[in-house]
Amino acid sequence: MSSLNVVSPNPEQLLRVSGLSVEYRSASGGIIHAVRDLDLAIGEQESVGVLGASGSGKSSLAAALLRLLPANAEWVAGDIQIRGKSLSTLPRAELRRMRGAGIALISQEPALALNPVLPVGRQIHDVLQAHFTLDQTQCNEKSVAMLRAVGFDDPERILRAYPHQLSGGERQRAAIAQALVCQPAFLIADEPLSSLDAVTQSEVLRLLQRFRRELKMAMLFITHNAGVLSALADRVVVMRAGEIVASGKLDELGRNPDPYVRSLIHPEEALTASNAASTHGASTRGDVRNFPSARTYAATVSATSMNSANFAEQTVRMPQQEGSTPLLEVVGLTKEFTQRGFLSRKKFTVRALDAVDLSLRQGSAVAVIGRSGSGKSTLARVIAGFERADEGQVLLQGVPKEKSQPIVREVQMIFQDAGTALNTRFTAAESIYEPLVIAGQGTELERRQRAVQLMEEVGLDPDWYGRPAGEFSGGQKQRLALARALAADPKLLILDEAFSGLDLPLQAQMLRLLLDLQSRHGLTYLLITHDLNFISLFASEVVVMDEGRIVERTTPLRMRESSQSVTQQLVRSAERMHAPGLEAMA
Amino acid sequence: MTRYLLRRLGHGLLILFGVSLLLFILQQAAPGDFLSDMKLNSQISEGTAKALRAQYGVDQPLPRRYGRWMLSVAKGELGYSFAYNVSASSLLAPRVLNTLLLSVPALAITWIIAVPLGVVASAWRGRWLDRFFSAGTSLALAMPDLLLALLAILIALRTHRYPVGGMHSVGAQDWGWFARMKDLGWHMALPVAVVVIGSVSPILRQVRSSMIAVLDSSYMRAAEGHGLRKWTLLFRHALPAAANPLISLFGLSVAMLLSVTLLVEVVMSWPGIGPLLLESILSRDLFVVIGAVMLSTLLLVIGNLIADVLLYAVDPRIRVQA
Repeated sequence: MSSLNVVSPNPEQLLRVSGLSVEYRSASGGIIHAVRDLDLAIGEQESVGVLGASGSGKSSLAAALLRLLPANAEWVAGDIQIRGKSLSTLPRAELRRMRGAGIALISQEPALALNPVLPVGRQIHDVLQAHFTLDQTQCNEKSVAMLRAVGFDDPERILRAYPHQLSGGERQRAAIAQALVCQPAFLIADEPLSSLDAVTQSEVLRLLQRFRRELKMAMLFITHNAGVLSALADRVVVMRAGEIVASGKLDELGRNPDPYVRSLIHPEEALTASNAASTHGASTRGDVRNFPSARTYAATVSATSMNSANFAEQTVRMPQQEGSTPLLEVVGLTKEFTQRGFLSRKKFTVRALDAVDLSLRQGSAVAVIGRSGSGKSTLARVIAGFERADEGQVLLQGVPKEKSQPIVREVQMIFQDAGTALNTRFTAAESIYEPLVIAGQGTELERRQRAVQLMEEVGLDPDWYGRPAGEFSGGQKQRLALARALAADPKLLILDEAFSGLDLPLQAQMLRLLLDLQSRHGLTYLLITHDLNFISLFASEVVVMDEGRIVERTTPLRMRESSQSVTQQLVRSAERMHAPGLEAMA
Repeated sequence: MTRYLLRRLGHGLLILFGVSLLLFILQQAAPGDFLSDMKLNSQISEGTAKALRAQYGVDQPLPRRYGRWMLSVAKGELGYSFAYNVSASSLLAPRVLNTLLLSVPALAITWIIAVPLGVVASAWRGRWLDRFFSAGTSLALAMPDLLLALLAILIALRTHRYPVGGMHSVGAQDWGWFARMKDLGWHMALPVAVVVIGSVSPILRQVRSSMIAVLDSSYMRAAEGHGLRKWTLLFRHALPAAANPLISLFGLSVAMLLSVTLLVEVVMSWPGIGPLLLESILSRDLFVVIGAVMLSTLLLVIGNLIADVLLYAVDPRIRVQA
């Protein structure tokens, strides 16, 4: 049923991109070259991975392949041929028939790929009806079959459900079902995993592999995580600033000496190398330079396990040498949320936290991991004072947090999406010293000096201090958010999925920065995360949560030997994704 | 849902109560009343005036007067008119019906025109069609209703195709049912047109801007990437997602049913609530004014209630919060 109704002069070649250039007009009038003179060919049933840092033009390429570029983007030059037919000259009606039926797209954010006010079923039906003449029952049969194929046991429930009633993983699977229901010959997957937790990531990955086999699809898989591609891509192209800088098999690329390519394929190198270089970090963290990369992990496990064991033991021991009162103590925290149904009095009570105990020592870094919905974020929000627990207590340096003073300056939080956490109209300096203004600290001049000093500290150019926060890139915004958190001179920093939105090289840079700051200021970190990237390099202790309870407390090293199925599942999924830095657990 | 509605209904009743109380207190603050003008009339003796004041109960203290008014509301009379010496409700009821006869079709037509045009304008944003609509709505917004109504009268006078004002032709009450309806429609055409032109622009603009926000969203791009037809995209996917602010606006439309035609009624001598309200305010016919304001408030409450129910039905996310 693969319905690219075009004649194909060259049966092996499905897609041919030649000399493609795409430009964006920015709001300030400048022109951004998103894609420059790009050539790419994809054969029938071939799967090509596109690897690149954010802003390298990956997504613009995907959009251009469907002629879905946003209004401020322009297709400047070049041609895209699909089975010998040129996309640029394709009439609108034919283009529409090709989208969805010939080429399908899975986009980055499953929550944002589905219409929030329409039931999932109707959205799948509309795709079917756009390409085939089917009546209601046929539509229903096809969608039910498709939903079953993406792994839903109860497709009828999904058909009736609205997107907000599904979990992140369910939404992404529903979006995949919607994209593949017309059995396209070519699938473009634009970072389909980046917003999912490790276990769901690996489920979705397996699903895509299976569909690729069964539907004999060609595939363009866009990602910033090289680990994923080993399972999925026949060939990988690396993009930088709109150009393809390298291509080949993934293991060939792994030996590429180019620093940009290396930073994408071995992002943990950036972390370990610089960490050793910084005199503050090296002494407490042992020799981490010998950590193997994701790709060569199996071969070098035995050689390095000694080193990494050393490192982890040291970091676990280190904080215990300090005073006996923990910086933060959480006792028996319990929090429930209530949801009500439509036209019914039935209430669903979700127990987000169930008698959680936790204690953090000064200068330690503890990671709380778990699948989405396991209560990690609620824990962070209760500790930071954004939510009040139904039961239990949060003690800061042995003193219970006053109820009248819910947010304490000693505890600062950094959120997942720095872009939305910053007021884009504030300048960088204003964003940073805002906590000081609120606390009524210092004169205007002192605040500004502090802002400049903090910008230097987090690796931002102090000359940019008058720039609006909105003009900083994603990674820079996250640094800005970090500087703001540091302005209040906190003792504890809560990082709520603070890196999930960043690509791996940027994640590595941020972690490096955090480790640096920790050794300089004796900060304590509570890292909330759903993936295990870099976890062994960062955290000395891991707390595994599931369904609002802490199921296990362990070190990154011992996670693998855990008897808990939740921990096992997280570790196995992370291995499948080749999470960088995870191999130190071996 | 029932509990949600009951709660909303309770709020509405509280609002009505509060507005009535406020009206009584405010009118107390204004100097004079319908009867105080009698003092100026040398033919009415002071004793007669006093007797009249006592008869109408105007000399009573405020809480007492409020209580008496509440009693008459319970009886469905809404107080009494000083000028006509009948219950305010018997004066208001036929006028309210006449006003609704004008405003309900006018607002229905307004929405029927504004929604598709707004959707089309958003889909062809920045193109000539959108610019044409944008110029048209700017013009309509800039034009005072008064001028529109006068223009309509001018058209009627010049073309002789439309009646110049009023609601019925002379002697229409003797005609057959169908002829009477035709006559009524004839008289309605111009005032309805004036109201529609005056109220279509803000709605069209609101439809356009909330559609644009939705059309720029990632799920609309994803849907476009799935190859949906343009009209399916616009009306089945984007419009429901853009509906929330529009529904609130619709509630306001309902609330405005008694007031939107006020000026047109006065200028085009439509026997609605407008001319009566004007006259009552000028002659300080207190209870007629209060009755009219209370009816407007009632419509506001009803409009908001309708909007709430519609929102509840259209947006599944609101059901979670309610």
